[in-house]
Amino acid sequence: MQRRSFLAGTAAAAGLATAGCGNLATSDPNTLTFMFRGGLDERAAYTEAIAEFERQNDVTVNVVVTDGDQYDTKLQAAILGQKTPDVFYFDSGKLKAYAINDVLQDMSPYLESAGTAVDELWPLAVDLYRFDGEVQGQGSAIYGLPKDIGPFSFGYNRTMFEEAGLALPDPELPYSWDEFTEICQELTQDRDGDGALDQWGTGLNVTWNLQALVWSNGGDWSDESVTTVTVDTPEFAEALQFFADLQNVHQVTPSIAESQTMDTYQRWMRGQIGFFPVAPWDLSTYRDLDFEWDLIPYPAGSTGSPATWIGSLGIGVSSASRNPEMATRLAAFLSADPGTQELLVDAGIQIPNIRSTALEWAADDSFMPENKAEMIRIVEDYGRPLPGYNTYNAEWYTEFFTNIQPVLDGDQTAAEYCAWVQPRMQTRLDAANRQEQIDRGEFR
Amino acid sequence: MSAVDAPPAGRRFGAGPARPVSGRGPAPARRTGTTSDLHRRERRWAAAFIAPVVLGFVLFAVLPFCFSLYAAFTNWNGLSAPTFTGLENFRLMMADDYFWQALWNTLFLMIGIPIGLSISLVLAMAMNRRMPGRSVFRVIYYLPVVTSLAAISILWQWAFNGDFGLINQGLALIGIDGPNWLQEASTSKPALVLMMVWKGLGFSMLLYLAALQSVPRSLYEAAELDGAGAWGTFRHITFPMLRPVTFFLVVTNIIGGSQVFTEVNIMTPNGGPEFSTATIVWYIWQKGFQNLQLGYATAMSLVLGLLVFVITLIQFRLNARNSFSVE
Amino acid sequence: MSRHSSYRLTNILVAILLGLGSVLMLAPLVWMISTSLKTMEGVFELPPQWIPDPFVWSNYARIWEAGPLLSGIRNSVIVSLTVTIVGTVTSSLAAFAFSKLRLPGKNGIFLAILGGMMIPFPALMIPTFILFAHIGWVDTLLPLIVPGLLGNIMMVFFLRQYLHNVPDSLVEAALLDGASYPQIFWRLIFPLIRPAIAAQFILWFMAVWNDYLGPIIYLNSENVQTLQLVIANFNATYAIQTDYPLIMAASLVALLPVLAVFLIFQRQIIESIALTGSKG
Repeated sequence: MQRRSFLAGTAAAAGLATAGCGNLATSDPNTLTFMFRGGLDERAAYTEAIAEFERQNDVTVNVVVTDGDQYDTKLQAAILGQKTPDVFYFDSGKLKAYAINDVLQDMSPYLESAGTAVDELWPLAVDLYRFDGEVQGQGSAIYGLPKDIGPFSFGYNRTMFEEAGLALPDPELPYSWDEFTEICQELTQDRDGDGALDQWGTGLNVTWNLQALVWSNGGDWSDESVTTVTVDTPEFAEALQFFADLQNVHQVTPSIAESQTMDTYQRWMRGQIGFFPVAPWDLSTYRDLDFEWDLIPYPAGSTGSPATWIGSLGIGVSSASRNPEMATRLAAFLSADPGTQELLVDAGIQIPNIRSTALEWAADDSFMPENKAEMIRIVEDYGRPLPGYNTYNAEWYTEFFTNIQPVLDGDQTAAEYCAWVQPRMQTRLDAANRQEQIDRGEFR
Repeated sequence: MSAVDAPPAGRRFGAGPARPVSGRGPAPARRTGTTSDLHRRERRWAAAFIAPVVLGFVLFAVLPFCFSLYAAFTNWNGLSAPTFTGLENFRLMMADDYFWQALWNTLFLMIGIPIGLSISLVLAMAMNRRMPGRSVFRVIYYLPVVTSLAAISILWQWAFNGDFGLINQGLALIGIDGPNWLQEASTSKPALVLMMVWKGLGFSMLLYLAALQSVPRSLYEAAELDGAGAWGTFRHITFPMLRPVTFFLVVTNIIGGSQVFTEVNIMTPNGGPEFSTATIVWYIWQKGFQNLQLGYATAMSLVLGLLVFVITLIQFRLNARNSFSVE
Repeated sequence: MSRHSSYRLTNILVAILLGLGSVLMLAPLVWMISTSLKTMEGVFELPPQWIPDPFVWSNYARIWEAGPLLSGIRNSVIVSLTVTIVGTVTSSLAAFAFSKLRLPGKNGIFLAILGGMMIPFPALMIPTFILFAHIGWVDTLLPLIVPGLLGNIMMVFFLRQYLHNVPDSLVEAALLDGASYPQIFWRLIFPLIRPAIAAQFILWFMAVWNDYLGPIIYLNSENVQTLQLVIANFNATYAIQTDYPLIMAASLVALLPVLAVFLIFQRQIIESIALTGSKG
C-alpha cells in the first residue's frame, strides 16, 4: 500500500512537473523560441515587434528574456542543455565558436525568401557576421544579422557650456587631449558656493571609454592578426595614463568618494557633468534630460583623428531549429523590416539598421541630439568593433580590466600596469587561439 | 545524548506495554513460512525500501562522478565531443591565478565559521538561563535562518550601499565613516562574512542551546561541590559536553562554506571588485557555463570535491579521537 | 546579596544585552520593510527615514505586474512540496530498512552512500547538467524535482540514528503478530520517528525553497523560474532604475511564506530542529 501510494505520488509529481516546462521546450514547428536581453524599454519594444511578427506569419513566438549581465551564461546553458532557442542574440565574439561547433545556422540560403531585404542594412554590420570557416568577416555564409549597430558616441552638456560662457565645441573637429583637459577644468566648479564641487568636466568609465583614447593615440590591444597582445606600447600606456590623470591629476571628474555617492551616469543626467558618452540605447533615457546636449567626436590623441567603438549584437538562428526558414524570417524581420526598425528607433533604443533610413534619421533636426550625423560618421568612417570580437573568446581582453583599479586610483603608473598585464593577457589569447585550432580540427 | 523537550523515543515506547501493532493483523497461526522464507521476505522488502535512495545515489552521484573523472582530463567545450588531454587541465589550474584567488576567497569567507560559532555559543549560554522572554529571544535570533538567501542577499546588498545603506548609517551614529563595502576589494569579503554570520547565527545557537539543556544538572552540582569556578565548570563540563554538536556544526559549515554561491552572485556580480569575492563554485560556474571550458571546470569541481572530502575526513578522525561518544 | 537575587540581577543584565543584540538582528529586516514602503526618492533621503513618509502601499501592488512573481511562487511551491513530501517518504523507508531490516551488505551500501553525501553538489553540477540535457529536461522543473524524489541522504542518516533508539524487539514482536513490513513502517515506526521527520522535513523544505544555484543553471524561461530566481532578476532589472522599494517589496514577499510558517509553528519547529543537533 505504501509503495503504491509512493508510485502514485511520483506519477503525480512527474505530471505536475511536465506542466512546468519552459518556453524553450517546444517541438511544434509553428512555434519559435526567441531569446534576448534588455532593459524594460527594450523588452516593451521587442514584445510589440514580436506580436506584429506573429500576426503577419501566423506563428507563435515564445520569448525568453534576461537582463544584460546574465544573458551570456543563460544562453550558454540553454545551448549546453540542448535547448538552443530558434532565434537568439549572440555576441559577435562568439560567432566563430558557435559556427565551428555547429550551434549557428548559415542563414544565407533562407534569406532570399525571408521577405525582408537584408541588403539594405549597413554592409559593415552584416559583414561582422560573415564567416568562411577561417576568417570572420569574409565569405557568403551569414551566421547572424545585426540586432543593432551601436556607435558609442560622445556628448556634451550644451546648457552647461552656455552658462559657463564657453565656445561650443566643433561638431566634427575633435579636441586635442590638452584642449579637452583645459575645458574640463573650466567646467569643474563649485556653483552653489558651499565649498564642495558640484559640477565636473567629465566622468568616464574605463571599460567603455579607454578604447577611444587608446586608438586615437595609435595604440591597440593586439596586433592585426590577433596573435600578440600590444598593450605594453608607449602609446597605449600614455592613453591609459591620461585617462587616470583626468581624475588624479587634473581632478576634473568626481572623486572616488563622490562617485560612490552617485555614479557619473546619474550625475550626467542631473546636469552635473560636462562630457559624457552617449550610446544609441541611451537615447530613450536621455530624451527626458532637462538640459540641451549634443554629440561631438571623442578628443583625439597623437594621431589627431577621433576613434571609438561600434557595438553590435547578432541575431542568429539555431542549427537545431525545426523551422530554419521561419526562424530566419524572424531574425530578418527584427533586423531589417522597415516597420520594426521604425518602432525600435522611435522607442529610442537604437539607430536604424537600414542605411537609407539612418541617413534620414540623422538629417531630422526635430529632436535631440542635433549632431546625429556624428553617429553616422562613426559607423561609416572611423568606428571599430571592440577588441576580442573576432577571437575565440574575449577572456584575454577582459583580463586587461580586471586588475586595473590601482591605476585609476593613482597607486600604480599606467606603464607599470601595462607591462605587468601584457603577459597575463598573452597567455589567455594564446589559449583562445589554441582552442580555436583544437575545435576546428574536430570540425573538419 | 537525548533531545531537549522530547524524551528519547525508545524510552517513551519502553515505558508502556508494547503497543499491539494491529488488531486486524493476520493471526500468528496463519504464518506457515520457514525461517528462510521469512528472511527472503525481509530481504526483499529491505531492498525495495532502499531502492530509491540507492538509485538516486547511482544516478546523481556515482554516474556524474565517474563522468567527472573522465571529463576532467579532457578538453571539452560542451558542444563537441571531449578530447583527452591528460593532466593539461590540472597544469592550467596550477598556473591560473584566478583559481587560486577563488580558492583563497572561499577559505577567507570561512572565517565566519569560528566567529559565528563563538557568538552563538555565548548566545546559547545566555539563553540557557531561566529568565522571562527567552523564547522571544530564541525566535528573534533564529529569524534570519528561515529567510530566503536570495532575498537576504538583495537586502544586504542594499544595506551595504556606501551612502544610503543601513550599515554605514549605523556606523555614522558612532562617528565612523563607513566604506563602500561591496565596491572595494578590501572590504567586500568582510562584508559578506558579516552577512553570513548574521544569517547563520540562529541555527548554531539553537543546537548549542539544545546541547546545553541536555547536560545533566547533577554534573554541575558535583562541580560546585568540588569548588570549581565558572571557568572551570565551562572548561571541564560544558565544553566537553558540547563537543559532538560543535563537531557537527563545524563539518556542516565547512561543507556549506565550500559551496558559497548565491550571496556572491547576487551581491557582487562578475566576481566582485578585482575578483575579490569570486568563490570556487562561482568560478566553476563561470568557466563551465560562460566560457565554454567544461573540461577545465570539471577538473576544478573534482579538486573542490576532493578538498571537501579530505577536510570532512580529517574532522571525523579528530572527532573520533577526542570525543567520548557521539551517540 | 542572596544567591537568588544575584541570579536575578545577572538575568536582567543578560536580558539587556540580548535585547541589544536583538535590535541588531532585526534591524535589517525592519529596514527592509521600511524601504519597501517608501517612495523612490524617500530611499535616498539623509538622514534616512525609518518610518516611510508617505507610506506607499502601492509598491506591493506594482510587484505583481513588474515580473512573474506569481508563477515564481507557484513553481517554488510545486518543487519544494513534491520534493519534500515524496522524498521524506522514500528517505524514511530507507532509514527504516537500513536500521531495522536484515539485508546482506546493507552497511556497506550505507557507508558508500554516506561517502557520496560528502561530495558537494557543485562538484557534480556539470556532469549532472549534461545528463539532464541529454534527456531534454533543461528548462523544466524536473531536474530540480526528480533527484529529490529519490530521497535525501542527510535525512536517511539522521532518521537511521534516531531509529537506533527503537529496540529491535519491537519490530520482531510486530512481525510475530503477523504485521507486514509496510504495516510496521506505517503504524509503528513512522509515528515513533515523527518528531525527527518533522525536523528534517522543515530543514529540507527551507533548503529547497531557498535554492538558487539549481534553478539558475536549469531554468531560463520566465514561466518555469522559481521564486528565488524571479526576485534575483527583479534586483538585476530594477536596480538600474534605483527602484529599491519595488525590489524590497518583492524580496519581502519571497521570504514571507516561510517566515509566516515559522512564526506560526515556531515552538514546534525550534524544538524539532534542536533534535537534529542532539542526534548528531
